[in-house]
Amino acid sequence: MFARIRSTWRAVTRRTAWEQDLEEELRTHVECRTEDLMRAGLSREEAERRARIELGAHETYKEQCREAQGLRWPDELQQDLSYGLRSFRRNPGFTAVSVLTLALGIGATTAIFTVVNAVLLRPLPYPHPEQLVYVQEILGEYGLSPFMSNREFAAWRNQSRTLSQIAAYMNFTANLTGGGEPERISYGMATTTFFSILGVHPVVGRLFLTEEDRPGGPPVVILSEALWKHRYGADPSVIGKGIILDGKVYSMVGVLPDSFVIPDQWNIKYTLWVPLIGGDTGRASVGPVRVIGRLKHGVNLPTARSELDTILQSSLPKSFPVKVSVVLSPWQEQIAQGSRLSLLLFLGATGFLLLIACVNVANLLLSRAATRQKEMAVRLTVGAARARIVRQLLTESLVLALLGGLIGLALARWGKDLLIAFISPNLPSLEPIGLDYRVLAFSLALAAITGLAFGLAPALQASRVSLNEVLKEAGRGGELRRGMLLRNLLVTSETALAMVLLVGAGLLFRSFLRVLGIDLGFKSEHTLCVSIDLTLSKYPTPKDQARFFQQVIEGIKSLEGVQSVGGSGIPPLGNRTGMVTGLAVEGRSEEIGSASFANISPDYFRTMGIPLKQGRDFGDRDRDGSPSVAIVNETFARRYFPSEICLGRRVSSWVHKKDWLTIVGIVGDTRHRVEKEPDPQIYVPYLQDGQPFMTLLVRTAGNPRLWEGAVRRQIASVDKDQPPHDFATLEQLEATSLTPRRVNMLLLGAFATLGLILASVGIYGVVSYSVSQRTHEIGVRTALGASQNAVFKLVVGQGLRSALIGTGVGLATSVGVARFLQAMLFAVKPADPVTFLLAGLLWMCIALLACCVPARRATKVDPMVALRYE
Amino acid sequence: MDHLADLLPGTLDLLILKAVSLGPQHGYGVLLRIEQVSGGRLQIEQGALYPALYRLEHQGMLRSEWGTSENNRRAKYYRLTAAGRRRLRDEAEGWQKVVAAMASVLSARPEEV
Repeated sequence: MFARIRSTWRAVTRRTAWEQDLEEELRTHVECRTEDLMRAGLSREEAERRARIELGAHETYKEQCREAQGLRWPDELQQDLSYGLRSFRRNPGFTAVSVLTLALGIGATTAIFTVVNAVLLRPLPYPHPEQLVYVQEILGEYGLSPFMSNREFAAWRNQSRTLSQIAAYMNFTANLTGGGEPERISYGMATTTFFSILGVHPVVGRLFLTEEDRPGGPPVVILSEALWKHRYGADPSVIGKGIILDGKVYSMVGVLPDSFVIPDQWNIKYTLWVPLIGGDTGRASVGPVRVIGRLKHGVNLPTARSELDTILQSSLPKSFPVKVSVVLSPWQEQIAQGSRLSLLLFLGATGFLLLIACVNVANLLLSRAATRQKEMAVRLTVGAARARIVRQLLTESLVLALLGGLIGLALARWGKDLLIAFISPNLPSLEPIGLDYRVLAFSLALAAITGLAFGLAPALQASRVSLNEVLKEAGRGGELRRGMLLRNLLVTSETALAMVLLVGAGLLFRSFLRVLGIDLGFKSEHTLCVSIDLTLSKYPTPKDQARFFQQVIEGIKSLEGVQSVGGSGIPPLGNRTGMVTGLAVEGRSEEIGSASFANISPDYFRTMGIPLKQGRDFGDRDRDGSPSVAIVNETFARRYFPSEICLGRRVSSWVHKKDWLTIVGIVGDTRHRVEKEPDPQIYVPYLQDGQPFMTLLVRTAGNPRLWEGAVRRQIASVDKDQPPHDFATLEQLEATSLTPRRVNMLLLGAFATLGLILASVGIYGVVSYSVSQRTHEIGVRTALGASQNAVFKLVVGQGLRSALIGTGVGLATSVGVARFLQAMLFAVKPADPVTFLLAGLLWMCIALLACCVPARRATKVDPMVALRYE
Repeated sequence: MDHLADLLPGTLDLLILKAVSLGPQHGYGVLLRIEQVSGGRLQIEQGALYPALYRLEHQGMLRSEWGTSENNRRAKYYRLTAAGRRRLRDEAEGWQKVVAAMASVLSARPEEV
């Protein structure tokens, strides 16, 4: 088989030589025969004549030789191709519209697929990525937790037989000082095994040694290449020197390459790495960790999971309050968790878009086929096989599709960066996303399938011409009716597809509006946020910490144009959350539950514009040594004191066991996360209960960004080694927290818009075509007295009928499809009647507009011209 | 018995394979050899020879290369490949069986039935 293909291929690629050989071989034959005949006594002329006659029909045999060589199929393909290309060149408008439509569909789908490929399909950039697993656990009713305790990690490390290696890592932030500007950095802690599991090699120096992640190991640090370059100018001699992290000296041992990325759904940057002391260290220094492992060769996921679960159960204390079980997933799957749904949604949406594009091109091809009926009829009459004609038309549509595919690929190549920049807030951090062989194969296959999809029906339709009728030129009505039916069907289906996209986008849009309408409970205008995390070794006690913040706040307050300054350990929209559990109320025997918790400065509520509902605000008198006080929000008062007066009651939690806090005020609710209902909340004054971190909120007289430099200088004037970080305006934070939702909405909205445009072009095309085909009929009607109005109604009515049916089908389909969107909706039901109604109305308006243009043309038909034409 | 190839389809291929198996030969030579070996009783339609040669080469039964003929002309010589040799053997065997069977049928006499 392979040898035959090769033999044909050789003949195709060296076609001229092949033909020359054949010619020469036959000539030799004739010459040899001539000589033999002359030897038998014939004259040269007579001999040549006889030799030629004996050889027989020279050209027929040559053709048979070509066929024997397997050249017939490639020859015909070439004919079809050149024929198709010639006809494209004759119809540049048709060709351009079809190719561009397809390019749009294929391009959009390919661009999305590029991202899907990178996030969901492409293996992680580590050796044997299929063996990498991520350990999570389900904690009773609290649900899935991606963090394990260090003790659990140690149990697995010591006992597991199904994992060849296991590693723990975690991200932290710290102040980096010594040699250069102080910086707030995020960094990682990892066990020595972490780097060997991932198979990374250092650029300079070495990675951690085995003993370095054990208790008592030396303080060492591995830098990222980025930090090494920007802070130390890529100087290899820094190895062995010290670096100060939160006041503690670490010695630098190596540098990791830039290509080393830890992909995760949280987009965490790791500026440097220090050893994570695995197992019980005797002090609770590390807290929860992330755990990854590598499966032993031949061990499957369920086996490893049940082993880890068994080990976990035996390591838990007897009286552990919640039921815990291990969840083991391929690391890649765990990373993609957050983006899987929206990516698949986008891929589905582009699939719909591509289908609409296909339907449009099928429509164009149908119209073109109608104008080529005569040509087809002639070809059939002179003996072309029907299959041959279908094949030729399919070749043409495949060429269209491949052209569209190529341009689409170019579009995708150019558009993917735009797309990625746009949707990156919803993506896990990854190595650069590129077009690889999988993407190429995908778009090529897509082009081929679309070529067949939109080409088959028109090709079959076109080859089914009735010879007599077409050649007599009387049968136009008959063919037209059948062609028109197919065309209307196509319009109906593309309308339905566009409707589904429109409804999806509409649901996301309505959800977005709902989210925008949420009252966060505070005013975000003109407010600058900046966070400071103190170095504990320098500010060890709450008193020191409070003094630092007090000085900073006073300093910033004195700046010109600053209206007020508030501070909170746990401000809304921030990354930190604070929770107190086991709340007790004086005079009640049972604990009441839990609440969010924040230490704030006296001016916090005024700065944030949070209204005081009852009681009083904190003041400077609420300081260390004065009676402990608290302010709660309305949800707290409602939930825990539904029928009692809340003000003046005393509460406590395990954090404040020795101390009762008197509730002195009640303030309005605020949301910590935009889409999350307010929690019960307790505020305490930071002067009574200090903490080493605080976010300052600075309300300014104008654009808050303009105060950034002054605020930075104020903080540095108190202590230049405490770098402020995460400067942002409160409005920015609000916008950022809406970004994932906005991205999803805008992208789906863009696809829906494209779908609408394509579908309206489709309906316009069909109606115009039918008007041009019915010129004669319309002329007759007008001649017989039909008013312009009646003609207009006739044409529009016909177009709208398909659109209406399509809308119905589309809306019905949407009810089913919208359920997949459920997780992305906010305060909107998947079958939201308002969205469905508006989507239907919008499309009917567009469809009406698309029908009106050709319908107006129909009313302008001059009966004399129309009739004379026949 | 002019055109045997017309009589029994497939025999032309067999004849060509056999002729080429006696030594590499060009198209016209194959023709002469078949005539000569059959004592002039088998003649092949000359033009039909070439499609058959091309088919056999495409199927991998023959290999061809350009050479010089006995009267100093550039000619394409065909030679048998291993696959061609196998095919020749198989088909020759089949042919012998058919001939033997036909012969015994045609020579049957009433008393033998």
